[in-house]
Amino acid sequence: MRQRDLLWGLASVCFAALLVFLWHLISAYRLVAPVFLPPPLAAFNALANGFEDGRLASATAETLERIFLGWLLASVLGIMVGAWIGISAFARNYVMPTLELLRPLPASAAIPVAITFFGLSDAMVLASVGFGAVWPMLLATAYGVAAVDVRLVEVSRMLRLGRFSYLRIIALPNALPDILSGMRVGLVVALIITIVGEMLTSRTGLGQWIMLAARSFRSADLFAGIVILGLIGLASALMLSQIERWLLRWRLQA
Amino acid sequence: MTPLISFRDAGVAFGSKQVLEGLNLDIAEGEFVCVVGASGCGKTTMLRLIAGLHPPSEGVVSYAGQAIARPRPEIAIVFQDYGKALLPWRTVSGNIELALEAAGTPRAERGAIIANLIALMGLEGDGGKFPSELSGGMQQRVQIARSLAQRPQVLLMDEPFGALDAMTRQGLQDELQRLMMQQRMTVFFVTHDLEEAIYLGDRVIGLRRNPGRIGKVFDVRIGRPRDQVATPEDPEFLRIRRELYDFIRDTEREPAS
Ligand SMILES: Nc1ncnc2c1ncn2[C@@H]1O[C@H](COP(=O)(O)OP(=O)(O)O)[C@@H](O)[C@H]1O
Ligand SMILES: [Mg+2]
Repeated sequence: MRQRDLLWGLASVCFAALLVFLWHLISAYRLVAPVFLPPPLAAFNALANGFEDGRLASATAETLERIFLGWLLASVLGIMVGAWIGISAFARNYVMPTLELLRPLPASAAIPVAITFFGLSDAMVLASVGFGAVWPMLLATAYGVAAVDVRLVEVSRMLRLGRFSYLRIIALPNALPDILSGMRVGLVVALIITIVGEMLTSRTGLGQWIMLAARSFRSADLFAGIVILGLIGLASALMLSQIERWLLRWRLQA
Repeated sequence: MTPLISFRDAGVAFGSKQVLEGLNLDIAEGEFVCVVGASGCGKTTMLRLIAGLHPPSEGVVSYAGQAIARPRPEIAIVFQDYGKALLPWRTVSGNIELALEAAGTPRAERGAIIANLIALMGLEGDGGKFPSELSGGMQQRVQIARSLAQRPQVLLMDEPFGALDAMTRQGLQDELQRLMMQQRMTVFFVTHDLEEAIYLGDRVIGLRRNPGRIGKVFDVRIGRPRDQVATPEDPEFLRIRRELYDFIRDTEREPAS
């Protein structure tokens, strides 16, 4: 098992190396002009420089904070509303239809609405991220909370669990696998909307960094920003799957 | 003496289908009552009436003179499908603790109670394991431990050993018997295994079907503790066994739904 994990890890590192090598070949043979595609080395230099003078580091920190706050907001909201919908027939009948109406709205359509409310501010980015990323969590929680096996429902009836205890002890843990995969999807959405929001609001962040670099044809800086975005995605996915592995450890056996 | 549980002209209909009809039965405190009958005759439905999980469509089912309208703290249940009745994300201890949490037992007192039940059910060393790490027999022990954590007066068991292999089943039968002799509990035990019913019961109720109703009641006058080898050779056991088989064969000749 461990050995197989190691092999897969190695394989994915090799794959990444292969891509970088292809990138190198493409720029070395000038298949794409360097104004658009810098050689990998130039991008990594830009990365190093950016972190050295602190500008890229602070942009990264700001972006991370926005992603995390928006994702947290969406998670708390999604889990709370989802739990309510999952457990209450009233909410399913009267609240869910309205939500179904809002859900297909792309987050990009929500941004102009958020702008009219909050202006080009951090609050606007937060609201947009919250709106866009809330759905996977909300739906997963509603589904998982409602999908408790009838036998467990009877067990909790026999133990005379109150509604809130039922939710806390039975329904939410039952929904946990669904909630975690919803949170995983939500994180990606939060990352995307944060970047778009930063591009629009021009507040310090990777979105703005990428935008400015692209406008002034600093392709090395542009790619440095993109590499960081990729790394953020990778690191957060890895972290989430570690947390998931621990929380769902009861599933791994047998 | 007033019976602990009594059925008075109780019946259940699902829509237009009469599943149980005209049930009259008194169960005394401390009695071990087994219910047998063809599959689909309404054994589980009868148990659910006592559990308060389903209301009678007619008549009354009562506990200590009070009509049972909803689950009561004095009545605990053990389901056949232990795999679905346990919380898979909780350890053995956590699953037992569930009953204590529900009853509002202070946190500080729970540990000792759980340790006692773990020892009682022969689960020493398994407290930290998840259900998925245990055999079926061990999982069923956990479910029994959890029902006992409720400190019930009445234990309802719906074919609790039906999914287990013969060896495990006999072991658990004997432990259940030992438990019942120690702690004066009333047991309502549904099974389709006629030998099991006679081996465990003070009384065996044979149900007829369509609609489900009490067909024949057998008093089992065999002393305790009973023994897996000697008891099945007891003349009384053999006599009841023969009569019970005849009865069941007779009910199966009646038309099914
Ligand atoms: N919730 C229900 N809705 C409709 N019919 C039911 C329901 N529960 C049980 N029945 C019917 O009642 C009859 C008795 O079921 P049950 O009590 O489970 O029988 P047993 O436990 O003896 O096998 C069966 O015919 C079954 O189909
Ligand atoms: Mg049944």
